[in-house]
Amino acid sequence: MADLDQKPKVGASRRDFLRGSGIAAATAVITGPAVASLDEAKAAEPEYKVVADTVTLKLQVNGKELSTEIEPRCTLLDTLRNRLDVTGPKRVCDRASCGACTVIIDGATVYSCTTLAIACQGKKVETVESFDTGPTGVPHAFVQHDGLMCGYCTPGFVTACKSLLDRNPNPTLDEVRKGVDGNICRCGTYIGVLEAALAAAKAMKGA
Amino acid sequence: MPTNWPENPKIIGTRVTRLDGMAKATGRAKYPSDSHPEGMLFGAMLYSPHAHARIKSLDFSAAEKLPGVKAVLPAGNIKAGSLVRFQGDDIAAVAAETEEQALDAIRAIKVEYEVLPHVATEEQARAEGAPEVFKGGGIVKNVRKGRSVTIGKPDDAFKGDDVVTIEASYSAPVITHVCLEPHGLTVRWTPEGKIEAWASTQAVGPTANELAGAFEIPITDVTVHTDVMGGGFGSKFGADIWGVTAAKLSKKAGGLPVRMFLDRAHEHMGGGNRPSAIAHVKLGATKEGKLIGMIAETSGTGGAGAGSAFPLPYVYAVPASSRTHSDIFVNGGNARAMRAPGHPQGCLVMEAAMDDLADKLGMDPLAFRLKNLKPTDMVEDGFSKPTVDRTPVYHDEVEIGAELIGWKNKWKPRGHVNGGSPIRHGLGMALHQWGGGGPPTNQVACTIFPDGAVEMKTATQDIGTGARTIFAIIAAEVLGLKVTDITSNIGNSTFPPGQPSGGSTTTPAMSPPALNAVTLARDELFTKLAPALAANPEDLSLADGQVLVKGVAKMAWKDACRKLGMQPISVVGKSSPGLASQHGGVAGCQFAEVTVDIETGVVRLKKIVAVQDTGLIIDKLTWETQVYGGVIGGLNYGLFEERIMDPTSGIMLNPDMELYKLAGASDIPEIVVHAYETPAMKARGVIGVGEPPTVSTAAAIGNAVANAIGVRVPHWPMSPKNVLDALASKEGKA
Amino acid sequence: MKAFEYVSPSSAEVAVKALDGVDAAPLSGGTDLISRMKDLVTSPKRVVYLKDISAIAGVSGDAASGLTIGAETTLAALLSSKVVKESYPALWQAASEVGTPQIKNMATVGGNLCQRPRCWYYRAGFGLLPTKDGKNMVREGDNRYHAIFHTDGDALFVSPSSLAAPLIALGATATILGPKGERTIPVASLYQIPKKADDRELTIAANEIVTKVTVPAAKGKNASYEARQKAAHDWPLVMASVNLDLDGNTVKSASVIVYGVAPVPYRAEAAEKAITGKAVNAESAAAAGDAAVQGAKPLSDNGYKIPLTKSVVKRALLAAVGNRYWEEG
Repeated sequence: MADLDQKPKVGASRRDFLRGSGIAAATAVITGPAVASLDEAKAAEPEYKVVADTVTLKLQVNGKELSTEIEPRCTLLDTLRNRLDVTGPKRVCDRASCGACTVIIDGATVYSCTTLAIACQGKKVETVESFDTGPTGVPHAFVQHDGLMCGYCTPGFVTACKSLLDRNPNPTLDEVRKGVDGNICRCGTYIGVLEAALAAAKAMKGA
Repeated sequence: MPTNWPENPKIIGTRVTRLDGMAKATGRAKYPSDSHPEGMLFGAMLYSPHAHARIKSLDFSAAEKLPGVKAVLPAGNIKAGSLVRFQGDDIAAVAAETEEQALDAIRAIKVEYEVLPHVATEEQARAEGAPEVFKGGGIVKNVRKGRSVTIGKPDDAFKGDDVVTIEASYSAPVITHVCLEPHGLTVRWTPEGKIEAWASTQAVGPTANELAGAFEIPITDVTVHTDVMGGGFGSKFGADIWGVTAAKLSKKAGGLPVRMFLDRAHEHMGGGNRPSAIAHVKLGATKEGKLIGMIAETSGTGGAGAGSAFPLPYVYAVPASSRTHSDIFVNGGNARAMRAPGHPQGCLVMEAAMDDLADKLGMDPLAFRLKNLKPTDMVEDGFSKPTVDRTPVYHDEVEIGAELIGWKNKWKPRGHVNGGSPIRHGLGMALHQWGGGGPPTNQVACTIFPDGAVEMKTATQDIGTGARTIFAIIAAEVLGLKVTDITSNIGNSTFPPGQPSGGSTTTPAMSPPALNAVTLARDELFTKLAPALAANPEDLSLADGQVLVKGVAKMAWKDACRKLGMQPISVVGKSSPGLASQHGGVAGCQFAEVTVDIETGVVRLKKIVAVQDTGLIIDKLTWETQVYGGVIGGLNYGLFEERIMDPTSGIMLNPDMELYKLAGASDIPEIVVHAYETPAMKARGVIGVGEPPTVSTAAAIGNAVANAIGVRVPHWPMSPKNVLDALASKEGKA
Repeated sequence: MKAFEYVSPSSAEVAVKALDGVDAAPLSGGTDLISRMKDLVTSPKRVVYLKDISAIAGVSGDAASGLTIGAETTLAALLSSKVVKESYPALWQAASEVGTPQIKNMATVGGNLCQRPRCWYYRAGFGLLPTKDGKNMVREGDNRYHAIFHTDGDALFVSPSSLAAPLIALGATATILGPKGERTIPVASLYQIPKKADDRELTIAANEIVTKVTVPAAKGKNASYEARQKAAHDWPLVMASVNLDLDGNTVKSASVIVYGVAPVPYRAEAAEKAITGKAVNAESAAAAGDAAVQGAKPLSDNGYKIPLTKSVVKRALLAAVGNRYWEEG
């Protein structure tokens, strides 16, 4: 790891972003109506910015730029569901245990119930709504293998499976189990879920 | 209608995928908790943090002044002086523009409590000198002792010289429903003064009734929608105090819609539970293994206001028995019907005792069970169809299940050791029963449109069993169409009356009126078509999307429907004998294979076999899914679930989904499901399968654990703690 | 969750400044802090987000020279490190058993070390030393998941970090940055047993953060073993991490750290002593396991942790030398 006094070797600091990258605009927006221009921000060089009130959040959700007003305490899940009408992810345990709220941020699955929306500013969010790719897709496999009953956990399971298959296109049954161990189904559809994941892996290869 | 319908089914009994599957699997399906009508406010409930308290004062003024807050109201009749009787008991509610504002307002409600003594656990409620929180109405010192039910002379039965007896105690804790979509609804008052609600319910009709009753408006002014809903398991049959309060908030906020769903902790506390079961059992048999008698003292808690009954003796022929059951009252949320209410408790008590007695007799527990089935076990159908004797069904099912688990080769007497491995293998089994028929009180509308579209419509709902698909299968079978050609519209309280989804009744109650409706609609179509085809209506039939005259295809379905001109055919079908069993009355058995690590107490499932009869199966795919689901619910009861209450504070210690443990994928073993579907079973008609397969899993697992380690683990779930404690007590005795 | 102000600093130094002088909490993966905030157990005025500070993330080094693990390294990143998997199996095994795929993507090494106890009395808002009417609620109540050591005191929770055990066993140090600068302490010194109601179980101040963990060169053998109720997502009931310095087959020195038995990661000195000078085999490991519970005083509901701890310590020792006798073919 780099010495703390040195410039980070990998990635760029938030201040670098502020100076010119795409996120700068978004970050500037965060400060709300009284925002200084980018030049002023650069001149002032504040050590850190405090976001205290409602701010505008911009997210790239399923390839679309969405924007809404949030408070710093709004979770990503509540922001998606309550403010952006992206209701595929569900609120079930609301404490990072059950997986119904699973979304993919910059390629990795997270529990959106315990992710602050403000920390996702400018990030790429994928939700279950974007995974329907027809007969080779994970949702199709869930239907074919009846990996759902009431369906409330299903978006989370589909998302976990999709992410698993992205990383590991040839999972064993045990790898599928571990891949969806962050999700809980109360109706008891696990057998169908496991079959669906294996079938989807096969279908994707055939595609 | 022929009683043996369908004679040569093409679709019924095959594996048909869900019509609404893609909507659910892509996140497009809108659940009641997803609905967001224009102008919607977010509701939140304030509930008691105390197990037992009197509300001294209630002050909404600070809450009302907060930004975004549109309405603050007490829950139900709560006012200064009211009692709250468990942590989670409802006090007040808020509607605000954002959910964060609503929760801020909840915290700003000022409540002064006089905290009162509580009893939070069964042990605490019955302890010497416990505070008498519950008394009167037959309740003495927090306990309502039931009358003892005696059959024969059990005391005499145990006197014989050749009687082998076990006496043992068993218990299972309170578990909660953990519906993934919490209880609640989104509701609004229309400008016309009507209520429209999107409710997460198992019963759109009763939910509408409850709302109409609460506001004293005609039921015709209430519409409840439940397109899809996220699990109920017996706990969601009405609007509940939360739904009614949300409607009050909406009214106060000028009709703006209010979305009100419980948070997870509140759901655990107030959303219903399965009562605990505590049993002290004496069970005896002759040396030859014939049961002679049972004496059982049982109890359980259903919380602060519900009972805790469960059936006992269960399944087997016990010539003489006495059983006394006591309801223990505690400061906890009330029990609600939960997937096969009572049966899992009765099953695990009975089947544990059966296994322990078989062990003492030195008998194979499978043979011991078969020896003690009732000589005959007649199940009345209720539709004057032939009664069914369940005893030979049990015999067949046990034989099939034993074969599938490999009982003959794998079963060894309790506590057998092979080699020095700490991983011990065990097999266990249990039998169960359930009703599962459906009452003949429902209706389905079938409409055939001139463009060829077919709609099946009724005020039932889908709690996950695939109701839409069931209606479409029946219609497609009769009309010679594809399942996907049919539209099923359900989940609307204004549709023709449909069955609440409880007691495994939805499919059996709704299939007969569906068949009746589509058959009548078809006949009317035939009558209208016959002249155009120069044939008699009775010469017409339907197959593969064609209208046939005397078996010869003459016209495509859509062309035939076009002949209707402007006027669709619309028929309301009623229930009629032929497709369903009114009372059900199913048998079933399950086998579990486990490993128990005797050094860590960790139990892992290797395999579960479930053999189940439920009459005629409409959709084999969703039927199997329900059986898997029942088994998985049962294995949660067997291995993981437990509501844990704190005696000192009276609160629930694990109102979450982490320390309230539920199986994940890695906990699921191979599960083999076998449908016992003989011609005689099919002739019984449709019987529901939601509940029976969840009854005996925990019992079979408990027996497998005892078989593996040579000692009974008397307390469910089969946690490392309970297993190690049982092993330690065995060592202590030795 | 109460409203708060939010800071996403660009560096650890700025983060420390943002934490200083206000009621602030550092946020990494969020699985612990956000849940506590929702339950109103913690309601900071300011949240300082560390996870975007890439300078304090990542794994570097090798078995010969030791590892440096940035505090904001996610568990997923830690697990993808080949050197961790091959040379520090005690750490890799413990990390692989933490949480779920989602939690591994979210949670960080620093967050894991500094997470607050899972004790259900603490999470219900009764504090770390929950008392009512002068009585300890844990002692009087349901303590099945609580401590069996140090139970004479009032702190009866168990230390929640399952990475702390292997890191302590491996002799790791933690680098802490605060307003007064940087200091490096043994990972074990991050933890203390609170004595008074407002004591914390973490020794670092509220305006300090862990920036990195340094693990010495790998020598000898190390392993972790945990027992838990569920195979899927669950907390360990008891876990042991061991690090053995070997001379041939003989243990020259041993580190045995047990999770799930005490308010701090518990060093089982008697087990270390028992195994030292011996070859690790079924007999010596069992004797060390038995020694591990010397001095344990279980509470009313957790006597089962005595046999469990014996077994878990025995298995961790045997696992270190490649004997996994409990696994079936």
